Amino acid sequence: MGPVELLHMSVFSQTFSPCGRFLAAGNNYGEIAVFSLSAALSPDATGMSQKPILTFAAHEGPVFSLISTDTHLLSAGNGEISAWSWAELTKRSTKALWTRRPNYKTSLEIPEINAMIVNSKDNSLIVGGGDNNIHIMDMETGTFKSVLQGHKDYIHCLSFREREGELLSGGEDGAVRIWGELIAHQCLQKSLLVSVTYLGECTRPQFGKWIGCLTTDSDWMLCGGGPALSLWHLRSMSPTSVFSLAGCQREAVFYQDLILTVGEGPYVSHCVPGGTVKAQIPSSSPSLNTLTLNLNSNEHRVMTTAGSSDQIDVFTNFSYRAFSLSF
Amino acid sequence: MSTDPLKKRKTKVIRGDGGTPETKRIRGDADQSMEVEERRRRGSVHFIALKKLNRMAHMRLKKARDQTHEAKQRVDVLHLQLQNLLYEVLHLQKEIGKCLEFRSQHEEIELVSVDEFFQEAPAEISRPHLTKEDPHQLTLARLDWELEQRKRLAEQYKSSLCTKEKILKGIEMKKEYLNSLQPGLQAIMQASLPVQEYLSMPFERVQKQAEVARHLPPPLYVLLVQASAYGQACDTNLSVSISGDVDEAKALSRPPEDSQDDESDSDAEEEQQNTKRRRATVGVQLDDKRKEMLKRHPLSLCIELNCKDGSILHLFFYYLMNLNILTVKVKVSASADLSGAISAGELLNPESLLNCLYASDHGQETPNPANRYQFDKVGIVSFADYVAELGHPYVWVQSLGGLHFSSDSPQVEGPHSSLSASHMESTMKLLRGRLQARLALHKQFSSLEHSIVPVSNECQHLFPAKVVSRLAHWTMMSYEEFVELSFVQHVMKAGLVRNTDLFFMATVERGTARLQAAVVLNPRYPEITPLFSLSLLWKGERSGRTDDNLRAMESEVNVFRSELQGPRPGLQLLTNQMQRLCVCLDVYLETESQVCDGSEGPREFPREKMCLRTARGPNRLKPFKYNHPQGFFSHR
Repeated sequence: MGPVELLHMSVFSQTFSPCGRFLAAGNNYGEIAVFSLSAALSPDATGMSQKPILTFAAHEGPVFSLISTDTHLLSAGNGEISAWSWAELTKRSTKALWTRRPNYKTSLEIPEINAMIVNSKDNSLIVGGGDNNIHIMDMETGTFKSVLQGHKDYIHCLSFREREGELLSGGEDGAVRIWGELIAHQCLQKSLLVSVTYLGECTRPQFGKWIGCLTTDSDWMLCGGGPALSLWHLRSMSPTSVFSLAGCQREAVFYQDLILTVGEGPYVSHCVPGGTVKAQIPSSSPSLNTLTLNLNSNEHRVMTTAGSSDQIDVFTNFSYRAFSLSF
Repeated sequence: MSTDPLKKRKTKVIRGDGGTPETKRIRGDADQSMEVEERRRRGSVHFIALKKLNRMAHMRLKKARDQTHEAKQRVDVLHLQLQNLLYEVLHLQKEIGKCLEFRSQHEEIELVSVDEFFQEAPAEISRPHLTKEDPHQLTLARLDWELEQRKRLAEQYKSSLCTKEKILKGIEMKKEYLNSLQPGLQAIMQASLPVQEYLSMPFERVQKQAEVARHLPPPLYVLLVQASAYGQACDTNLSVSISGDVDEAKALSRPPEDSQDDESDSDAEEEQQNTKRRRATVGVQLDDKRKEMLKRHPLSLCIELNCKDGSILHLFFYYLMNLNILTVKVKVSASADLSGAISAGELLNPESLLNCLYASDHGQETPNPANRYQFDKVGIVSFADYVAELGHPYVWVQSLGGLHFSSDSPQVEGPHSSLSASHMESTMKLLRGRLQARLALHKQFSSLEHSIVPVSNECQHLFPAKVVSRLAHWTMMSYEEFVELSFVQHVMKAGLVRNTDLFFMATVERGTARLQAAVVLNPRYPEITPLFSLSLLWKGERSGRTDDNLRAMESEVNVFRSELQGPRPGLQLLTNQMQRLCVCLDVYLETESQVCDGSEGPREFPREKMCLRTARGPNRLKPFKYNHPQGFFSHR
C-alpha cells in the first residue's frame, strides 16, 4: 500500500473479537486488518502497536460488513461471505474457513452485501445487499434457507428485534420493512412497511430518501440516512423525536441512555433521546462510516469509529478521541 | 785363568796350613817334607788333569752350542722362505681377486644388443666369422661399432647447431625490419586523415581525444572512459567529447594539486601584491579566496544523448578542483518547435530539468561533506547560490565520475571505475527517459492549453466514445499558490508534495458545473503518478473531503496507474488521467438525482451513460469504472 493508496482508503466495517482484545476492520480495497486492542491500550504502547498485527486481502471488492460470532469472523465482499476463525487470525493464519454466495439472479454485475446479522435463536445468518433481497443462511449446514423479497432498491442496513424475533431492514428506496415470524414459518413473511418519507418532519429531499442506518432497542427504533435521524416508537409506529444533524447518518447505536451516531462530517454525535444533540466529538476522518462499541470486554471498553481515511479513531472515554489506529 | 783359582786355592790352602805349621814344624820336618812333596806332586798332577777336563768340558759345550746354532740358522732360513712364499701367495691371491673384480669402463657403455649389432654393423666391423665364436672379439667389435656411431652423431649435432645459429640471426634481422616499419606507418596515417574523414572512421580524432584525456582530472577521466565504453557497447546514440584549454590543464598538472597549498600560495601572492599597492579590502580578499575555492578545471566533458525523434540532450560536466566534486549543466536542442505552450515553460528549464532524477537528488547542495569545512573558511554559506554559474552537483554525477562520498566521515576515496560503470547504464536511461517525458509533456501541454485532451489510439479503449465535459483551462501554478488552496491540505499532510514539484490547475466544465483539479507533477514523471485534488462548483462547493463521490473520482484518477499509463514508456499517463477525469465528471453529473431545492424542472444533464446501478454500498458511490467493449459503467 503506497502513500497514494492510503490517501484514498476508506474503512467501511469493523467488529471486535469475542474476547474483546482484537479489532478487525475492512476497507475498500478488500483487505481486512486485525489490530491488537490490548497492545494499543497498554501503558507501554509504541507507534507500532497502532499498526495492525495482520493485514490480508480477503475479498476482491470492498468489505462492507463484518460481524463476529463466538468463534468466527464473518466478512462480506463482492457478493460472497467468508468465515475466518478468530483463533487462527490471532495466530496470523489467513485461510478462510468457508466462502458462500447467496443465489443471485443477476449475472452482469455482482451485488454487494451491505449488512449481515446473526440470529442466535435459530443459528442463522441474515444478509442484505445489492440485489434488493434478504437472504437467510443456516450457519450449521451452510445452505440458504430463504429469501425475503420486497424492497424495491438495494438494502443498506439490517437490525434485529431480539424479544419479538423480528427483522428490520432499511433500503435505498426509503422504506423500512419489518419481517416477522421468521423462526416458525419460513414461508410466511409478514412485512410491515414503514415508509419513512411520508412523514414530513424527517424528510430531507436534498439528500434523498434512502435509509442508511437502522438500529432497534426492541421498543424503539432509530433510523436515518437521507431523512434526518429520528427515533420511532415501534408499537405505535410513530416518530417521537427528530435529531437535527447536518449530514446524512450512516450508523447509530443506543448506549446506556445516549444515542451515538456517525455519518457525514468529521465528528461523532452524542444525542439524547429527547431530541437534542448533546455533543459532537471531532474525529480524524472527514466523514465516518462505522462506529462500534466493544461490549465484550470490560477492561477494553472503547468506542472505535472509522470512515473515509485510513485512520480508525479509538475513544477510551467517549467524550474525546484518545488515539488512532492506522492501516 | 784356570790357574788363578788354582793358585788362589793353593794360597788359601797354604795360608790355612800356615796357621798351624808353626806347631808342626818341629815334629816332622824331615819325613813330612817328602810326603808333602809327593802329595804336592800328585796334587799337581791332579790339578793338571782337572784343568784338562775342565778344558775339555768347555770345549764340548762350545761345540754343542755351535751345532745348535747352526741348526737354528738353517731352520730360520727355511722359515723365512716359508714366510716369503706365504706372503707371495697371499699377494697373488689378492691380485687375482682384484683382477676378477676389475670392471672395465667398456662395460658401462650401453651397447646395442647383439642381434641389432649384427644386423646394423657393416661386415668389416662385425666380422661375424670371428666374433661369433670369440666373445672378446665380439665385444671389441661392438665397441668399435659404438665408437663409429657416436662419431657420426657428434658430427650431426655440430651441423645442427650451426643451422640454429643461422636461423636465429635471420629472426633478429626480421625483427629489426619490422621495428623500422613503425615510423613509416605513422607517416601513412597522417597522410590518410582526409580519407578517414571522407569515410567517417575517426581514428585520428579518437587518438587525439586520448591524448587530451591524459590531462583530465581523475573523475572526468573515469567518466570519459565509462561513457565512451558504454557508448560503443550499448548505445550508439551517445557521443563524448572533451572541450576546454589543454595548455592550462597541462600547467595545472605540473605542481601537485593540494587545496591547502593552492590556498596558501594564492594567499601569499595576494599579500605580496597587497604590500606593493594599497591593501585591498577584506571583502575583496574574501571574494578572491572564494573564487579560488570554486575554481573549475579548464577541461570539461560534453556528453550528447541523441533521441529517436532527433532531439539532443547536451550534458556539460565540470570538475571543481578544490572541492573535488563534479557538476553538470544541461542544454536541450529539441527537434520540434517548443514555443507553443505557456504552461510548459518550466518543463525544459535547464535549471530544473535534471532535478530529482533519482529520488530526492536536488542538486542544490554539495554532496561532499568535507566541503562544509572549506566553505566555513571562506564564508560561503550555501552552495545553492553558485549553482547557477557552476552547474548542479547531483549525486548521480558524482557516481558517474566514480566519486563516492560517505556521510559518516569527511574522508573522500579516490575515483572508482566500478561505481561509475554500475551507474552509467541506469543514469543514461533515466536521462533519456527524462528528456523524452519532458518533450512529450511539452507537446501535451500545448494541446491541453487549447482545451483538447490528446488521447492516443492505443488508449482509446479506456474511455467511452462520447465525452461531454471539456477541459476549459490548463495553467501552471507556483508552490505558494498551491499551498493556499483549501482542498489540497490532505495531500500536504500526507507529505506527498515538495517544493521541487510542478503544480498545475485544470478546470473542467460542463454546463453550470465547474470542476477544479489541482495537479502535483513530480519531476520523476512518469515514474511517479501525478496527484489530482478535486473541488466541484455546482450548486454549492464540494470537495473530496466533503463528498464521497468526488473522493472516489480522485481515487479513480490517482490510484489506477497501471490502467492509465498506456503503452510503455507510459508518457500518456497525464493525458489519460485528464480524460478519465472528464468521463467521471460526466457520470457524476448525469447520475445526480434531481432532488434539489424544490424545483422539479428538467434535468440539466440527461442520462446518457449506460449504468446498471447508480448507487452502491453504504456511501452510495456512483459507477465510475468504464467497461470496454460493452461500454457500460460499473462500480469497482
